[in-house]
Amino acid sequence: MKTLKEDAQSVGNILLEIGAMLMSSGASTNRTRVTLERIAKGLGYGVELLITQRALMLTIIEKDQQHFFSRLKRISPHGVNFRIVSGISHLSWNIMEENWTVAQITEELQCLKSLPHYPRYVVLGFVGLAGAAFCHIFGGGTTEMAVAFAATIAGLFVRQEATKKKFNPYLCVFFAAFTASLFAGLAEYYHVGLQPDKAFATSVLFLVPGVPLINSVSDLMDGNIQNGIVRAMYGLMIAFSIAMGLFAVKMILNV
Amino acid sequence: MDIIDIFIKSIWAGIAAIGFAILFNVPRRTIFTIWTLGFLGGLIKFSVMHFDLGIVFASFLGATAIGIASIQTAHIKKSPPLVFSIPAVIPMVPGLFAYKMMLGLIALTRMENTDTYLQNLIETVNNGAKMMFVLISLGTGVAIPMLLSRKESIKKSKFNKNKKLVV
Repeated sequence: MKTLKEDAQSVGNILLEIGAMLMSSGASTNRTRVTLERIAKGLGYGVELLITQRALMLTIIEKDQQHFFSRLKRISPHGVNFRIVSGISHLSWNIMEENWTVAQITEELQCLKSLPHYPRYVVLGFVGLAGAAFCHIFGGGTTEMAVAFAATIAGLFVRQEATKKKFNPYLCVFFAAFTASLFAGLAEYYHVGLQPDKAFATSVLFLVPGVPLINSVSDLMDGNIQNGIVRAMYGLMIAFSIAMGLFAVKMILNV
Repeated sequence: MDIIDIFIKSIWAGIAAIGFAILFNVPRRTIFTIWTLGFLGGLIKFSVMHFDLGIVFASFLGATAIGIASIQTAHIKKSPPLVFSIPAVIPMVPGLFAYKMMLGLIALTRMENTDTYLQNLIETVNNGAKMMFVLISLGTGVAIPMLLSRKESIKKSKFNKNKKLVV
């Protein structure tokens, strides 16, 4: 039995913060649970958790005493960020093996939050390349790939701007899908390239909600049925917004 | 469709994986590994599809290979396996089927003629079923190494037994 160096309240708060960061950065439910239990064990506490998509409930118990601490925390969605998932994984092993204190953990979390994103033009460029890659995989030629590249960049740019202006997330996706497919649709309208329909179909694939859908399956397999269904539904709503954007362009251009 | 074609497609699958990796803000040291995993997954998927075994089984094998490889690389590059496996698997996500299904569903709302309605219904159900099973096979494939090793963390799993002794 370890001697407890920290009080239950500060440990509970730090666990909630880590859990919220993990869930909003794209970790699966099981991963969040295992990580929090590992950290709690490293600090000498037992922990019971209720993890949902938008809130986190936790009770931590001092093993030999009667005291416990409970709190609820809302999870605000931020978008996928694997740098945080990776950093917290290191953190949890450091806590287990090197007996970190809560003060050290807080400092490390601040450090993780301030880690830089890739510069915007790099993100735009590489996601554009991914769009061109999809076009190639589905059998498009060079011209179609160029159209898909440009359409993807335009779509992602619109999505970033819409997210900055705090639109509803589904609307952001709709705007992005509309822009990207309008771009590719115009190419089809003016008969650019040999198979313009390929560029049209692949221009929106960068919006596909891969992380929620894959996490949904892994949650369902781990027995977190509720979270799995929530994530699958979210993925379907995004797919629906994408289809709406495409549909609108199809109506306008009649291609 | 010959070997060179499969090879080039797989290279592009790796590039698509990098695009998503950068969108998801992965640590810089993992990018080349993610390209390799995406390439590997694409190579296996397109090769299996070349032998007419169907897209569902092909995706399953590709995702399983990525899942196993991601556990090996997780230890070397010091990041959790999902950082590698999710971006590498995403080029295989059946986005095209999902969007065809959605367009089909929308088209069903305004059709009068029974024949075209039936035709559209068949295609929509077909696309929807493909999408669902490919998705399930991707999720299962990535999870399989973890399910088989029955350990909470890769640090304890058999795949890393020898490396653990060294460290």
